[in-house]
Amino acid sequence: MSYSLQTISPEDKRFNQKMDTLLQAEGIRRDGHLDYSCGLFDDDYNLVATGSSYGNTLRCLAVSSSHRGEGLMNQVVSHLCERLMEKGHMHIFLYTKVKNMRIFSDLGFYEIARVEDTLVFMENRRNGFSSFLSSLEKTDGESACIVMNANPFTKGHRYLIEKAASENEHVHLFLLSEEAGPIPFAVRKRLVTEGIRDLKNVVFHESGPYMISSATFPSYFLPDGDTAIEAHAILDLAIFSRIAEHLNITSRYAGSEKTSRVTGLYNTVMARELPKYGIKFVEVQRLKNEGETVSASTVRQAIHDNCLDKVLPMLPKVTAAFFKSPESEQVRANICAMADPRHY
Amino acid sequence: MEILKPAMAGTLESSDAQVTVEPGDGKIELSLESSVMNQYGKQIKATVLETLDRLGVKSARVTMVDKGALDCTIKARVECAVFRSCGKSESGIPWGGDVR
Repeated sequence: MSYSLQTISPEDKRFNQKMDTLLQAEGIRRDGHLDYSCGLFDDDYNLVATGSSYGNTLRCLAVSSSHRGEGLMNQVVSHLCERLMEKGHMHIFLYTKVKNMRIFSDLGFYEIARVEDTLVFMENRRNGFSSFLSSLEKTDGESACIVMNANPFTKGHRYLIEKAASENEHVHLFLLSEEAGPIPFAVRKRLVTEGIRDLKNVVFHESGPYMISSATFPSYFLPDGDTAIEAHAILDLAIFSRIAEHLNITSRYAGSEKTSRVTGLYNTVMARELPKYGIKFVEVQRLKNEGETVSASTVRQAIHDNCLDKVLPMLPKVTAAFFKSPESEQVRANICAMADPRHY
Repeated sequence: MEILKPAMAGTLESSDAQVTVEPGDGKIELSLESSVMNQYGKQIKATVLETLDRLGVKSARVTMVDKGALDCTIKARVECAVFRSCGKSESGIPWGGDVR
């Protein structure tokens, strides 16, 4: 029997239906966000194996149970890897069920972390995660951790960091390094590092691909259902627990969340999951300014509506200065161009 | 030859090998995964290093996932990945020179 590998385009209803049927038969949830799919078809045009990718991750990988042991997954993964590498993604991630982990470790993928007995998160670099860990600056003794997007940096962020810094010997601050929002990482980084320079016990890190990235937590960046968000959050925290172990992090701080569904759900999952790893979750009530909650969403909305002045009291000097200066023109234009500047 | 950009050659199918080369930091860093590691690991490693040496590659991060490829296949895949990484695969493959 010979098989032919074909691209499954999103418009092709018939192929997509076959793909859905195969995924369902193998007990795999179809990801809401795929930017490429392919399939292996037999002579009679039955779909026997399929695989997809999104960004630098492989997804929805399945081989029909009647065609196991023919090395079909190897063909699919080869094809997907080649395609991703052509696009410049050399560092590739995937997650799979624990029972299928062997297949992927034979294909040159290595375990990063696992969620109990359900899911394993893997990458195609032997020392990928361990070299990320050893690149992080360590501190003595126990420490706290904050992960933030700071999109843009507000007094609320500053308040959260100050609180953690006053209650702990050291604070590890991770800034999301993924380019996803309207404000480039370089700008967010500059505002945060300048804004916390006076806090001597805060160590600044870039979050890299292992924390709330499009690989670990795709639904943070693109709308998805609650089950997907929860699954991604659980995986993200499993990886976080390993980072926490390395840096001796014993508590994680986050601001309370009422408006954003995804962040709110993430907080709920953190409150439930983190204690399992021996990490305390501290949810801090958000800072209020004249009765209004300080939030980056509100700030973006105000910039979007062209009334920056209204939110100036929410911004630290460095952020306010940036948005008033001509160099922020492009960023402001980005925010104005958004249909809905709030996080879903 | 200098590794200028990441490049890949080969597949994960049986009897083949997937080779990835990336710019290194002054030395050859080889990460090898093989289905016949216990039987032929040393030989495979030697073949890869020898091929890189012949091509004059001094600094690279090389990842290879081997699926039982023969030596000639390994050599071809390594050569191809190196040529792709320095733009030689479009033109200027040193036939009869480094490639023998």
